[in-house]
Amino acid sequence: MRSREGAGRAPPLSALGLGKTFGAEDGRPVGVIGSVSFDLGEGEIVSIVGPSGCGKTTLLNLICGLLPPTVGSVLWHGRELAGVPPRVGYMLQKDLLLPWRTAMQNVTLGLEVRQVNRRERRAMAHRLLDRLGLGDFADYYPSALSGGMRQRVALARTFASDPEVLLLDEPFSALDFQTKILIERDTARLVRSERRSLLLITHDVEEAVSLSDRVIVLSHRPCTVVSQHHIDLPGDRTDMMAMRERPEFARTVRKIWTELDIR
Amino acid sequence: MTTPAVLPAPSRPSRWWGQPRTSRQRLRRRSMLQVALCQLLLLGIVLGLWEWGTQGAGVNAFLFGSPSVIAAQLLAMVKDGSIWADAWVTGLETLGGFVLGNLLGTVLGLSLWFSRFISRVVQPFVLALGSVPIVALAPIAIIWFGTGFASKLAMATLSVVVVALVVAYKGALGVDPDQVNLMRSLGASRRQIFRLLVLPASLTDIFAGLKLTVGFALVGAIVGEFMSSSEGLGHAIFKAGSLYAISKVFAALAVTVALALVLSAVVSRVERALLPWRHDFN
Repeated sequence: MRSREGAGRAPPLSALGLGKTFGAEDGRPVGVIGSVSFDLGEGEIVSIVGPSGCGKTTLLNLICGLLPPTVGSVLWHGRELAGVPPRVGYMLQKDLLLPWRTAMQNVTLGLEVRQVNRRERRAMAHRLLDRLGLGDFADYYPSALSGGMRQRVALARTFASDPEVLLLDEPFSALDFQTKILIERDTARLVRSERRSLLLITHDVEEAVSLSDRVIVLSHRPCTVVSQHHIDLPGDRTDMMAMRERPEFARTVRKIWTELDIR
Repeated sequence: MTTPAVLPAPSRPSRWWGQPRTSRQRLRRRSMLQVALCQLLLLGIVLGLWEWGTQGAGVNAFLFGSPSVIAAQLLAMVKDGSIWADAWVTGLETLGGFVLGNLLGTVLGLSLWFSRFISRVVQPFVLALGSVPIVALAPIAIIWFGTGFASKLAMATLSVVVVALVVAYKGALGVDPDQVNLMRSLGASRRQIFRLLVLPASLTDIFAGLKLTVGFALVGAIVGEFMSSSEGLGHAIFKAGSLYAISKVFAALAVTVALALVLSAVVSRVERALLPWRHDFN
């Protein structure tokens, strides 16, 4: 373990020169991630956008500790950790709900792993499901829920373990526009009201700009950081439609779109 | 947000003898009734043709039996109680082998999930064992376990165990790696991942295996009885066959089929009770 130097508190998450190369042992190595560095501050929402196939998901797995990086390191509050860091919520495009558990039981999964007692688990799950408008569906199996509802349950599961940092990988990209806007709003509310930090990996530039404080643009494989944009939109940051109507919004989206270098 | 169609409370098991609750269920019951009627009709036609053939249309009733004689034979077997005694013996052998084989196979198969290395080591042996025709093991079973209940139990168990092992292992391996990663990100230990994810996820496959192996266990038990026995349905069939008592063979066969149907119906009921999420919403 090493400690990061410098004044002030270290950010919850920082990536230092992260790189990943696959299959280096047999024949030609494939560089997926060149070198990526960034910080995620407390209470900050940062999006990472990149052309498709640039290794965004690999990057997320490196950050989660599910894959070891070839070079570089991931620091949590300035310290390097072995394995999966605590107090991190993780959510993918697939909702990964367990079909044999009801909505409520899916939400409490992480609490069960940490052996929180049953009463507390249920109370927490009910609170979250109510906030996400799913209070009446707590006892439904996932197979009886719509795609949007299932993703909300996944969101509730992610928040249930009270994560300090949320890592979301294209969580809303399989949803229809309407549902997506609503879930983005709910996510922004849950994150901003409790000063959690959110790292969102997405290919949807509009989603990134409307939701985030900062957008990091990645290049093609092996990916590196092309640029960073501070998003300074006035008004209620949880109102996704209002954000999209601002002139700055369109300008920033356009700029990022050109930087993405989509071929 | 969309509201889903009104659905029955998920935790409540649906009972087939209960009143249908929704129009969809009523519709399903009606089509089930039609299917059952057609099945009965088909059975009636086949039996009718058979009976008609043996009543003077040139089919030799001595060689082929006839439904009416078989029915009389069944009735006689019910009266003298031999039908229950034989079905009881074979049923016990089958059930014992089914339970033992599945328990053994499933525990072994699931435990292979814990070690990729060990599973690769044992793979060829499992395949080799799986390719041995069970009939060929009958003489060994009789030498080792004698001519009584134990050798039939061994035969039934052997018919089941490899299939159960492979099915459980495949089920455990089939778990979505993203789901495993999710569990890891929630801080789950390997044992928690097994208990909360791998075991319930494999249940679907394991139950498919159970339905399959009910039949295998019965075959094992009957083959064991064929080799050497003094009671059981296999014994009854073998003995009647060597005496050219064809209608008695068919009667015992009918009881065997009925036994198989009862056993697989029991497995289905247990599956329904244990895996409610698979049946409540179709």
